Formats: sequence, structure tokens, C-alpha cells
Amino acid sequence: MADGMVSDAPVPDYSEDGVDLTLIRWMLSLTPAERLIFLEERINEILAIRELNAAD
Amino acid sequence: MQPTKLVATLGIFHENAVEFILVGGLAAVLNGAPIQTYDVDLVYSREPRNIERLLIVLDSIDAIFRMQPERRLKPAMSHLVGSGHLNLLTRYGPVDLLATIGNGLSYQDLLSHSAEMDIGQGIRIRVLDLETLISIKEQLAGEKDVAVLPVLRQTLRETRKK
Repeated sequence: MADGMVSDAPVPDYSEDGVDLTLIRWMLSLTPAERLIFLEERINEILAIRELNAAD
Repeated sequence: MQPTKLVATLGIFHENAVEFILVGGLAAVLNGAPIQTYDVDLVYSREPRNIERLLIVLDSIDAIFRMQPERRLKPAMSHLVGSGHLNLLTRYGPVDLLATIGNGLSYQDLLSHSAEMDIGQGIRIRVLDLETLISIKEQLAGEKDVAVLPVLRQTLRETRKK
């Protein structure tokens, strides 16, 4: 493709080995600080749910 | 169980001028890889002054060895000067202190493969780059390492497109 031309080919959502590329692109759209906060919140939510169900 | 405090954990090492490089799953996340991880893996400088600073921080966050937590064994200077891994539990969550990773790569070896990142609240830390993380996981080739490699490789490819 010549420089400056935009490809009409669809951007794949998954790689050939099954990796969700949309999730990677979303993560890359965040700053490192935002990625860290997101992970911290997710971990704490998961731990809270596990604790709620620990007695079961 | 207390909430995990990733920013606070990294912040206290930073505030006390501990020289470290963030590696492992959290480094992968900060480089943009969408993976889940629970611990903080740090490769630290084994310079005597740094180990002194590290011990002060570990004491302030109530660090104990994760193995047999009921014994509440605290890490000491003798543990930190060695070349092993210290798997610790702190009041901010799990922290793994690593003297070396991969084929004996130390803090000094990894410095040129790391970059400073702003993680908010005025905290800047050194984070291992994705290329080196992938290379180390390829060398280790453990099940856990191999499982995450496709996501890391695709993240690197997407990063290079940006």
C-alpha cells in the first residue's frame, strides 16, 4: 500500500492464536496509571466476591 | 481480607528511594497487556544502601514471608543480600522481591531494558519493557509463562502499530 492510503481491509478482532485484540487496543488506549487503577479495582472486586462466597 | 493497594505499594517503595524495577504480570499490565495478576514483582538493587532502605519499607508495611504466615517471619538483611526470591505478604497485599530473574539478570542488567512510567499521584517507577518480559518468559517456558505469551506478543505487535 502506498504511503498515505487507508486500507479498507477490516481490522481483525482476534489474532490467529485466539487473542482478543480489541481488549489489547482498549488497554493501550489507557495511560499506565489508568491501567493500574483498573487492575486494582478488578482485583478488589474479585477478592470481595470470593470472600462473600467463602462460607459456601 | 484487606483490599489490594497496588499504587500505594509501589508508592511507598518510590517515596523511600528504593531502587527497583517492576517486572512480571503487573509490568505486563502497565505495558498494556490485558492480563490478570495479583502480586507485585520487584527486582531490587542489592547495593547495601538500597537494601537498608528496602528493609525500612518492608518493616513499615508489615512484610512477612507468605510461606507459613502464622509464624510471621520477617525478611532480614541476610535474605535480601542473597540471590533468591522472597515471596512476601504485606498489609497492602502480596509482594515478591527478586534478586534476579531469568538467567540471573539483576537490577543492573535490567536497567537498560526498563523505562520510567507515571503511575499517578506523582509516582514514577521503572517498569521492565515488553520485549524483555517476553524474552524472559520464553526462556523460563513454565506453563504459567507459556500461557500468557500469546497475549504479550500480540500486545507488543499492537504497540508497534501505534
